[in-house]
Amino acid sequence: MTEHLSDIPVVELDNLKVKLGRREILHGITCRLGVSGTGKAIGLLGPNGAGKSTLILTLLGFLRPSAGRARILGMDCRSNMGEARSRIGYMPENDSFVGEMTAVTFLRQMAELSGLPPKAALEKAHEVLFHVGLGESRYRELRTYSYGMKQMAKLAQAIVHGPELVVLDEPTNGLDPAARRRMLKLVTDMKEEQGMNVLVCSHLLRDIEQVCDEAVILKDGAIVHHCNLEEERRSNRSFVELEVTGDDRNLRTALPEIGAEGVSEGGGRWRIVLPAGVEVEAIWGLADRQNLLVRKLNHRRDTLEEIFLKAMGHLAHTPGENAALDVSGT
Amino acid sequence: MAVYKRGYRRYDGTLTGRWTRFMVLPRYAWQRLYEQRLVLLLTVVSFIWPLLCAGFIYLTNHVELLQGLDKDFLAFIQVNGTFFSIFMYVQGGFAVFLAALAGPSLIAPDLTNNALPLYFSRPLTRWSYALARLTVIVGMLSVVTWIPGLILFGLQVGLAGGWWFLANWTLGVAIVVGFLVWLLILSLVAMAASAYVKWRIVAGAVSLAVFFILAGVSTMIDNVFRVTWGHIIDPAFSVNQVWRTLLGVELPDGPGAGASMLSLAVFVLLLVAVIERKLRPVEIVS
Repeated sequence: MTEHLSDIPVVELDNLKVKLGRREILHGITCRLGVSGTGKAIGLLGPNGAGKSTLILTLLGFLRPSAGRARILGMDCRSNMGEARSRIGYMPENDSFVGEMTAVTFLRQMAELSGLPPKAALEKAHEVLFHVGLGESRYRELRTYSYGMKQMAKLAQAIVHGPELVVLDEPTNGLDPAARRRMLKLVTDMKEEQGMNVLVCSHLLRDIEQVCDEAVILKDGAIVHHCNLEEERRSNRSFVELEVTGDDRNLRTALPEIGAEGVSEGGGRWRIVLPAGVEVEAIWGLADRQNLLVRKLNHRRDTLEEIFLKAMGHLAHTPGENAALDVSGT
Repeated sequence: MAVYKRGYRRYDGTLTGRWTRFMVLPRYAWQRLYEQRLVLLLTVVSFIWPLLCAGFIYLTNHVELLQGLDKDFLAFIQVNGTFFSIFMYVQGGFAVFLAALAGPSLIAPDLTNNALPLYFSRPLTRWSYALARLTVIVGMLSVVTWIPGLILFGLQVGLAGGWWFLANWTLGVAIVVGFLVWLLILSLVAMAASAYVKWRIVAGAVSLAVFFILAGVSTMIDNVFRVTWGHIIDPAFSVNQVWRTLLGVELPDGPGAGASMLSLAVFVLLLVAVIERKLRPVEIVS
């Protein structure tokens, strides 16, 4: 049966193994990420050396798999990359530009290389430079740009031809808070306004949490977790880090009174998950009823941190993990 | 509507064909090259010799203008293989300097600023990138080599008549083929220098030095070992042997046309291997 366009995964890996020299970096990864044409973002998370960039370079056809198969937008990364590349935009992690060119000439050339006619390429180059906030400096040579401007120019070249999928490798690296916010806003616009699929590779949990709908956590060249952040966000759970003094042995059984679940870390330290609709004040009330003195209470919504720490092996258990929306089934 | 008011929208129009895309890099590169005054100046200067040769062809075909000159001298000034070999020798020299001047700006800027991943993430393979860069320099050097050569040949045919063409059509082929072999060598040397030396002036000097050093070493081999085959490692000498063979001109001592062609083929393969090692989107350290 032929696969419907709406069923085509953005990334499909089948026992993918990649070697750099004699060292195997990716150890037989199998997964399906995203759905083509849905305008969703996929996050690739992992510590340094986990294999995130290697996976991206393999998906772009820059590295050859030593075994297995990788498909991007339904096209094989070895045999069908020519067609795939005209539908992909790539923003590399490191500096990448032609210093002697003005931003507008550089973008025009890149758009033409992707197949846009010269007139359309010029129009799109101007449009996208205004879009990323470089409109006023579009006639300046790229080598005169600041680091933040170069990051924006890299993003601009990745989207100038209107790709279906944009691959961003550490897009917020080295940006100040304002520029980082702007970059994340642009990424959100790309998927929500333009309907582009986005693959973001980052080691910054906050960035992934903010813009992605789905996340994959890599560790030592293998996928250790795959979760649906969109549904996680929709469940509106929040996490509490609690530190108390007093006899807290009954706290675990008392937590369900307010609909919460918790894990003791010893020494009066707890990690608690609150369901939607339950406010943090309920913890204060519960502690009072249990005659516990609250020494510290951190309330946050970034559930990804919990998931990430557990995936990295830094946490033995996550509160409410039975209810966690784990699409990999692990 | 003004661009800044319009906002960004994804392009959803038709895409250009493969050849239009292939010519994007050469188009932009030529534009940048001819913005350099020195390149423009050397290109203009390169036309002086073809103009003088055109004057010579005109004179040889108007005997009435040469009345009173010595008969031996009149027999000497003929438009034949020797004439075109001299023309090619001079223009080939100009091509060396133009390649050294323009070549370094081909690949070095892309490597310096790590632009290759951006090119290769588009529908452009490493080979088509290399071929596009080769097209830039071959195209630029063609303007001062085989194109004026062919114009001179056409001028001679026009002035001397069809019988001359029938007797000497191989000269036209020799001009085009001979120059293209030389341009291939020059372009690959310039590209290799540009790929390995990021500093433009040094890259230009390296691409010139390659020819002088190999010529020097080959002469040294000949003198030390009292042989004539040392020139086999000198690409300029080898090309000259090929030209002379194609033009039907007597060859000097040294390797013959077959051996020269073989040495040039080996030289080309070496250069291709050297360039291929450098043109990668990511560098892998084993």
